Order: sequence, then C-alpha cells, then structure tokens
Amino acid sequence: MRQILRQHELGRDPWRYPGEAGDGPQLLTLAELLVTAPSLPATAGVYIGPTDEVLLLAGVIDTVVLVVVHFENAGDGRGFSQAQVLRQQLRFAGELRACGALKRDHLYLLARCGFNAFDLDPGEDRAAALAQLQRFSVAYQRASGTLVQPRLRTQA
Amino acid sequence: MYRYDEFDRTFLAERVAEFREQTRRFLAGELSEDEFRPLRLRNGLYIQTHAPMLRVAIPYGLLDSRQLRMLAHIARRYDRGYGHFSTRQNIQYNWPKLAEVPDILADLATVDMHAIQTSGNCIRNVTADHLAGVAPDELEDPRPWCELIRQWSTLHPEFYYLPRKFKIAVTGAATDRAASEVHDIGLHLVRGADGIGGFEVLVGGGLGRMPIIGKQIRSFLPQQELLAYLEAILRVYNRHGRRDNIHRARIKVLVKALGVPEFTRQVEAEYSASRASAPRLETAQIERMRAFFAPPAYRSLADEDPTRAGVSAAFIAWYRHNTRAHKVSGYRVVLVSLKKHGEPPGDMFDPQMDALADLADRYSFGQIRVTHDQNLVLADVAQTELAALHAALEPLGLATPNIGTLTDMICCPGLDFCSLANAGSIDVARQIHEQFSDFDYLYDLGEVQLKMSGCMNACGHHHVGHIGILGVDKRGEEWYQITLGGSASGQVALGEVIGPSVAKDRVAATIARILDVYIERRDNSDESFLQTVRRLGVAPFRERVYAADTAAA
Repeated sequence: MRQILRQHELGRDPWRYPGEAGDGPQLLTLAELLVTAPSLPATAGVYIGPTDEVLLLAGVIDTVVLVVVHFENAGDGRGFSQAQVLRQQLRFAGELRACGALKRDHLYLLARCGFNAFDLDPGEDRAAALAQLQRFSVAYQRASGTLVQPRLRTQA
Repeated sequence: MYRYDEFDRTFLAERVAEFREQTRRFLAGELSEDEFRPLRLRNGLYIQTHAPMLRVAIPYGLLDSRQLRMLAHIARRYDRGYGHFSTRQNIQYNWPKLAEVPDILADLATVDMHAIQTSGNCIRNVTADHLAGVAPDELEDPRPWCELIRQWSTLHPEFYYLPRKFKIAVTGAATDRAASEVHDIGLHLVRGADGIGGFEVLVGGGLGRMPIIGKQIRSFLPQQELLAYLEAILRVYNRHGRRDNIHRARIKVLVKALGVPEFTRQVEAEYSASRASAPRLETAQIERMRAFFAPPAYRSLADEDPTRAGVSAAFIAWYRHNTRAHKVSGYRVVLVSLKKHGEPPGDMFDPQMDALADLADRYSFGQIRVTHDQNLVLADVAQTELAALHAALEPLGLATPNIGTLTDMICCPGLDFCSLANAGSIDVARQIHEQFSDFDYLYDLGEVQLKMSGCMNACGHHHVGHIGILGVDKRGEEWYQITLGGSASGQVALGEVIGPSVAKDRVAATIARILDVYIERRDNSDESFLQTVRRLGVAPFRERVYAADTAAA
C-alpha cells in the first residue's frame, strides 16, 4: 500500500488508482466520474490527468473527497493551474494530492497552489521533503494553499 | 530605484540556501544531471561550451553603483575579469565554477541581486525602456510596474513550470525602446477616456525560429488590473500551450493556433472566472512603488550648448552620437558605448565597471542602466559636467562615439561560448569593426542597426535589425544569412532574407556592398538606411551582393 505525505506525517492510502486491482475504494478518471455522476457515492475520488478540464467537476465537486492530480514529468506545470482552479474557482476543500514525476523540490510550490498531500517517489527522503516544504518563510503572491503559509508583504 | 527591505532580503537568503543545498546534492550524486537541470536553470546557470554560464538578473536594466561594483567583484573573483551584457538587460559570466555558484549568489544577495528565473521555462526578467523616467517622449515611468511584475513573477507558485520561457517588456513612451512587440507580452502604458491610466496589452510576439509581431488583445486595461490580467494570460498558456515540441511551445504558437479572437476570448473568460481570487493592485501599493522611482534631486539648470567653440572635435562627436535629450532642462542622457572597435560587443572588464560606478556616483546620482542593445546609460548628467565625464570615459575605452551607427551592433556570444551557436559572432563583429573603422563614413551612413545572432534562437535579434545577420551551419562550416529592413520600434518589421548565405570571410564585404547601394540610391542625405530599404525593397541590394563573383554560396 502506498504511503502519502500529508501535513507532517505519512499516512497509508486505501485508494486504488485507475488500473490498480485490490481492495479499497477506486479512484475514477474524470470521464468515468462524469458518466456515473448521478449515482455517485458522497465520497468519490477522482484522478485528473494533465489535459483534463477540472471545471467539468463544477456540478459534482460536493461529492468528491479526494482529487489526485498526475504530473507526467518534472517540468509539467499544468497541475499547478488545475489546483488553483480547484481551490479558487470550485472551492474544493478536500484532499488535493499530487502524484507522478515529483521531487522534494516541487513540494513548496505545490503546497502553495493548494496541494495538501503528496504521493512521492518512494526513493525520496521524507524528512528532507518536509524540510523543503518549509523552505520559504515569505512569498510575494497570494495563492491557494493552507499547508504552508509564508508571510506576505501586506501582512508585514 | 527600488530598495530591498527585510522582507526581500529574507526571501533572497532563503533562495540562496535552497540552491546551495541543491548544488550540494548534485555534486554528491544525489541528483542526476536531468534532475538538477531545471533547478540550476531557474537560478541562471547554464552548462555551456567551456564551462557553466551564469546569467545574473538586472531587473529592467537598472543598477546602482554598489551593484555594479559587485558585478566587477564577481568578474574578478570568480571569472576571468569580464562580463557580457545581454539583449535582455542582464549580465552573463562565462567562466564560473559550478561549485562556487552558491557563493556567487550569496555575494550578489549582499547587494540585493540574484539570478532567479534568468533561464528555464518560467517568467524571465522583465525588461523596460532604458530611458524610463528621463525620456522627453514618455507618458509614464514603466519601472514601478516592472518592479510590481518582478515581485509578482518571482517564484510565482503556479507559473514556475511553463511550456517554455516567458518574457514581458513594459514601455511608457511614444518610441518603443524595449522591443516590446517581440515579447511574449508587451505592455504599453496608455491613457484611457478620462485620462485614467492603463495598459495596452500585446501577446505572442517573439523572435527565434518563428519570428512574429505581438497582437493586441486589450486596447485598455485599468492599471490596478494588471496582475489579475497577467495571471489570466499565463493560466491559459500554462494549461493549453504545447508541451510536446520545444519549438512549438512558446505562447505565440498557441495564439496562432487558436487565432487572436479565440485566444482573447479564453483570456477574458479566465479573467472573469478568477475575479474573486486574482490579485488586485491597491492604490497604496501602486503609490508605494511609484515613490521608489521618484525623480532624483535635480538642480535648477538652464540648457546650454556644450558644443560651443573651444571644445574638442572628439567631444563634439561623442556629444552628438552618445548623448540624448533629457526631459529636465540642463541635463543630458549619456550612452556609454560597449562597442569599442575590436572588442566583443557588450563585454566589459572589471576595472571599467569599478570606474564607471565611481563616475555614476559623481555625475549621475549613483545609477547605471543597461540597454537592450548592449550599452550602458548614465541617465542624469548635468550638461555642465559632460566634458569632464567625457574626459573620464575616454581613457576607459567607454567613449567610442558610435551609438546608433553600424558598429554599435547587437551581437550574441556565438560559438565562442554558447553551445547552441552555429557561428562565431564575435569574430564577425571584429571583421565588421575592421572594415568600418572610418567614423566619417559611419556618420555619413547615419543610423543603421546591425543585429547578429549565432543561431536560429535569435538572441541577437537579427530579425529586427535594419541589417540582420544569422549564423547558419552548412556541413560543419559557418555561413551567414543576411536580412534587410527589420525594425524593433516605430513601424515594427521583420527583415527579409536577401538571398543565399555568404561565407564567413565575406560578411563585412557583403555589408559594404549593401551600404554602397544605399549611398548611391538614397534620395537625399536625410533618407535613412531603413527608409531607403523600405522604399526600394531588397531587390537592388540583392543584385549588388550577388553580382558575378564569389560572394554567394
């Protein structure tokens, strides 16, 4: 079972990603979720790819408890915008998890965009990852996250 | 100019610490080259032909004297005693050692400088008119807006991994001295109906393999909406720009694929949708920033004619070519030529930097600017002190009276340093300096903008040179393609290729033929080279260049 970095600890993850067998609730792709929308449980999880239009979740976002955003490679920045839209425009308040080709060096900006859980490469050093999450104590922009809350100049 | 406070310094110290740790991990083998690359690029560090190349940000080209002394120190301590000013108003060092780069960044941070986002697929250093705040034709000083953009774009969490690099230029004057129409976003300060301040917004300009002039998507954007609107543009680009092909990934490709009306519609829709959360500039924020760029304490002086009897011919030539009108009476803008004949264009040695910093303190309120055509500016010199300044610049090799002439050329580092280049631009620059060493001839030609790039990436802006030179590789040999009629300001235009490329040793001779046609065919001595090319088209130039001999390939 994969372990997910949340807040300051690792947690076991019951969810099955698309294509994974076994027990536990199944994450749906965006297309699957939209097709089954009328009969969704109140605790759905959705798996978002880089080209998915997250605004399509607008009508069902209240039934979603987990959004997993997949990053194809370390330079793929689309998920950062998807996260901001989810948090700012759809007001999604559940777990927003980043998975895929991510290193500890991505975590701070991911957290600033609203991610609050990270499915990291198993080889990545968790303690170092948590330290990187707290790398910056100040930031020039408002953003979406609550996991890290750097001081803004307007608060100075 | 903008002054860092405790907030900015805290951020910068944390950034230096982050990169020091990342460099340590790379050197310890904990990060592969592929993993380290995006991290080092976003701190200005390339791996080039001979060594790493470090590009240090000079936000909108503005420096103070202590910062210029620090650039001299870096050149002396960590490099080979010189730096190269680039067409994006930055400075590049060609010989730093990777392991020392964190120390260089720490030294830079002591004078509030950095190399953040000077490369990589992110928002790059914002550029501006080098005569901002002093130009007589200026509507509004762009620099407060540039600094707001600099801060907003620094480690912007959403736009740090864009499909490709992203360049923003701002200008507030009638004449565009920032090449804003060939940037990903060009912002023009304008006045709306009731005299309210705002921006005209252009998107999708650029040079490189697909040169294109930016398209207007907003004729008027209220000033306080600037960052909100930039976020809408960047979000559309970040989500929908191509990522499958590096050569098709700039925003200009997205604008072209969607068409301007559809691209504009998407930006406006995003702008509306994000209204509640997007950053809106408060009046107090804008005024705070404007205060940093308040005019210096000018003395009350009358205009005079510094070319009166008794001054030297050398001074008069320098005054005519290397100084410009200032909006305040009794003052003059001085352009410091980094185009001394025989030297690589844009290069400066550390003693020159130190000496110029002293001159800036003495004669120009301690500030220096970098132009996008690779010269420096002392923007606020009293006319009464011009002669003394000239006398001080001359022995430093910083008073070559060639600004605006053919030999004031833009030139990229080329094969000598850059791993992308096909051509030795610096060699060709030397060849041109040798061929055109007669200043009377250069002055008779008048304004000719020669811009040279060592490869298709067009760092030397060859597309918008009145004469453009592009290095191309033919079976391992250096050849040069010539374009005519480009222009980066006024009626912006991309140059037209005159014909087959020419061999390296024929470049200067080819330019001489082109200029012969101009001198013979200009309709009077006032018609500029560019006007003549526009009137005649490239045909007569082509005929002369390729007339029965060995010039052509």
